[in-house]
Amino acid sequence: MITTLSAGLSIGAIYAIVAIGYNIVFVASKVFNFAQAQFLMIGTFIALDAGARYGLPIPLAILLCAIVGAVIGALEEILAIRRLAGKGEHNELVTTVGVSTLMAGAALVIWGPEPIRTPYLTGLGQIQVFGSAVGVIDLAITAIAILLASGVAVVTRRSMIGLASLASSEDRDAAMLRGIDVKRMALGAFVVAGALVAATAPFVGAKTYATYHLGDGLAVKAFVALAIGGFGSYLGALIGGFIVGLLEMLGARFLGSEWQDISVFVLLLIVLLVLPKGLFGRTKERVV
Amino acid sequence: MTVKMSYRKFVRTPFWILPIALAAVLLVLPFTGVSNGTLRIIVSIALLSMLVVGLNMTFGYAGELALGQSALYAVGAYFAGYLAIHQWDLSLTLIIGIIAAAAVGIITGIPGIRLGSWSLAMVTFFLVLLVPKVAQLIPEITGGAAGLSGIPLPVLFGQKLDSTGYYMLVIIVAAIFIALLRNFVTSRHGAALKVMRESPVLARSLGMALPRLKLAAYMVGALPAGAAGALFAYQDGYISPGSFAFTVAIAILASSIIGGSESIYGAIFGAAILTIGPLRTTGVQEYSLLLFGALLVLGGIFFTGGLAGFLNKVIRSRFVDDELLPDVEAALGAPLPLEKVNGQDLEITDLKKAFGGNQALGGVSLSAKAGQVTALIGPNGSGKTTLLNIVSGFYNPDSGVIKIGGNHVTGFKPHRLAVAGVSRTFQSPLVPKSMTVAECVASARYARRRTSILADMLYLPSARRARREDREEAIRLLSILGIVEHADRRAFDLSLGMRRILEVARALAGDPALILLDEPASGLDESEVETLSNVIRRVSAAGGTIVIVEHNFEMIMSIADQVNVLHLGSIIASGEPQSVRNDPDVVESYLGKAAREQLERELAGGDK
Repeated sequence: MITTLSAGLSIGAIYAIVAIGYNIVFVASKVFNFAQAQFLMIGTFIALDAGARYGLPIPLAILLCAIVGAVIGALEEILAIRRLAGKGEHNELVTTVGVSTLMAGAALVIWGPEPIRTPYLTGLGQIQVFGSAVGVIDLAITAIAILLASGVAVVTRRSMIGLASLASSEDRDAAMLRGIDVKRMALGAFVVAGALVAATAPFVGAKTYATYHLGDGLAVKAFVALAIGGFGSYLGALIGGFIVGLLEMLGARFLGSEWQDISVFVLLLIVLLVLPKGLFGRTKERVV
Repeated sequence: MTVKMSYRKFVRTPFWILPIALAAVLLVLPFTGVSNGTLRIIVSIALLSMLVVGLNMTFGYAGELALGQSALYAVGAYFAGYLAIHQWDLSLTLIIGIIAAAAVGIITGIPGIRLGSWSLAMVTFFLVLLVPKVAQLIPEITGGAAGLSGIPLPVLFGQKLDSTGYYMLVIIVAAIFIALLRNFVTSRHGAALKVMRESPVLARSLGMALPRLKLAAYMVGALPAGAAGALFAYQDGYISPGSFAFTVAIAILASSIIGGSESIYGAIFGAAILTIGPLRTTGVQEYSLLLFGALLVLGGIFFTGGLAGFLNKVIRSRFVDDELLPDVEAALGAPLPLEKVNGQDLEITDLKKAFGGNQALGGVSLSAKAGQVTALIGPNGSGKTTLLNIVSGFYNPDSGVIKIGGNHVTGFKPHRLAVAGVSRTFQSPLVPKSMTVAECVASARYARRRTSILADMLYLPSARRARREDREEAIRLLSILGIVEHADRRAFDLSLGMRRILEVARALAGDPALILLDEPASGLDESEVETLSNVIRRVSAAGGTIVIVEHNFEMIMSIADQVNVLHLGSIIASGEPQSVRNDPDVVESYLGKAAREQLERELAGGDK
């Protein structure tokens, strides 16, 4: 049982990492970046090349993943989002799905269709917790998600740049009048989210392997995490991620592996119906 | 120099003959010796067109992205395939495939649409990922990962169809669905979707229940997906989860973008381009994701409107002039008086509203009588707009009672208030860009006189009658208010002053018990204010109840029967215009203490 729970937490942590990425971008620019999960997918391939081809030590691999994530994030914002300013959400839906598809397509062409094992942290083994075997990598990934969520939350609440991002999400025009460069905030958010999400890939890849369609499932489940936790809340993203991961593992264990995704889907429908603002979401009134 | 077609002729030209002619040509094609390979491609285009035209309902017309068309396609295909293996007739498998897709559509649509923006996209995307999982869950029905094989050739009403028969069936079913969906988007429901997409606030104030409207569009779009799936099951006699992968969902979206999401026939272009291009050439399969991704990014940025939108624009601007239509000319020749407006009394008691710690309204009581203009004035931040937004339902009051014609309407949602007779205008007029003036006015009648979606899709006499009456009523009101010559112009091209009058006409079209005017004179010049004042006087003289929020003091003095002055969320004076004008409290709130003292000196001097 404890083995199932720890596996659920670590899977949930991966969803939480992507959900945190969604949030960083969403808070600063009100854009939902459908492609966010693909940054983790690309990251696993970068980690693969960094280790298997160039033999880099893990800190350098993390750095390399972060740089690639940052660059792709910047490109996405400049090429697919910024040009839309004023045309509305309708087109963002299309272009971010497009970027996501491009990233998956690029991975397929470059690295091929087969899942490949990433080289880092593969032999970490297991430790005994209350008599059950728990993977060390599971604990590590869970810890990373918790650190990431609390770190980003603290930076958002305490630093000038974090407050500026909150301000521009609250009221874009007022933030501009206060001298906040809203455009640079948006670009910065895509870069930071891309870098942070991709940087976790050397760890995550040890569990998921590198495969070009890794992002599909991650994208929806991270969205479920966000729907549970509430858009804009980092604590919510973390808790939502854990709930999804645990449900998935428990569903697989007690109902059978085919039920793993179906149970999450049912949860999503229920959450959207009965908890539209999520656990930690906020509401707004003014419309006219 | 091109010769322009008259607008009169353009409106009357039956352009729908073109697609019917296309279908007719396609139907005789098998008898002209065209190869089976070509016919097979045409079948693929027809099936993809059905999926795309369905997506266009949700994405192009309702403004919600759905990625699950391929999953609904799968649902239709598996149901039809399974039943066909068990010797069911195609007439039944087709209908059951459609119903099954619609059922899955409703289960995903209700939660997905409730939150708006990304939730429908994600719920439906999830649905696509679930197709192989569900197939594995019930392998005895779906054949699991290996797929469902042995689906026989279709049997329609007991007759076995050969491949030519199958081909003709696909063309006919596709043509029927495209016609049904075309009727849907040109109906009043389509107009309501247009309003909603451009301004949800306006749509709600016109009595449209947005989630229901979006769900309707999504359901209408699910039908052809189910039908296409059911037909697809027979194409090779074999289906597997691979036929409905995410790539298919992306290809559908890309076709929609290329052809133009807000169009019907564009779906056929888009489907044809994608089928003849990337989907057929197997050598580029590895690159198909890259290609689709690039198409989506470029299409989303540069190609809004797609091919259909582009053609439409070119034809309208190059080949059509703006001659008046006959009914407009007739209305111009014989201006009408405004008959009766069925205004009701508005009674507001002790209304309170706070935003956080800011008490915007601190117990306001107010009444407005039918046949009168009741004005609400006061400095900025005094609570006028808050009051208006509460009466039209956009804010919920903290306490207090609102009655219209004696009926409680406190706390009603905007669309329910609209149905109860509340019509309003906006500080900056809300006129949808893509609608004509007459269409704008007619859109207010949507919630008052319902027509069923089915009647509209089948273009039944009731739908035709409703459409004709909408037009007649719009022309009548525009003619009464003196702007009928602009009836068929784009509403967005009107001057600000005329847009305000258009908003009054739209308010009247809803048969209003109460008309709320939100700063209608701001930004108008003197003669425009005079025209608007005349319109307002005529409406109130015909029995309308008018509540007007306005800064233009002179205008209020000339048209109002009752004036209420708000200051910091409370009414400090009310009465006839002249008495309010000389009220010391009012003068102080507007002009300061010195002005009050001067007024009091003057009044004292006058008494001597």
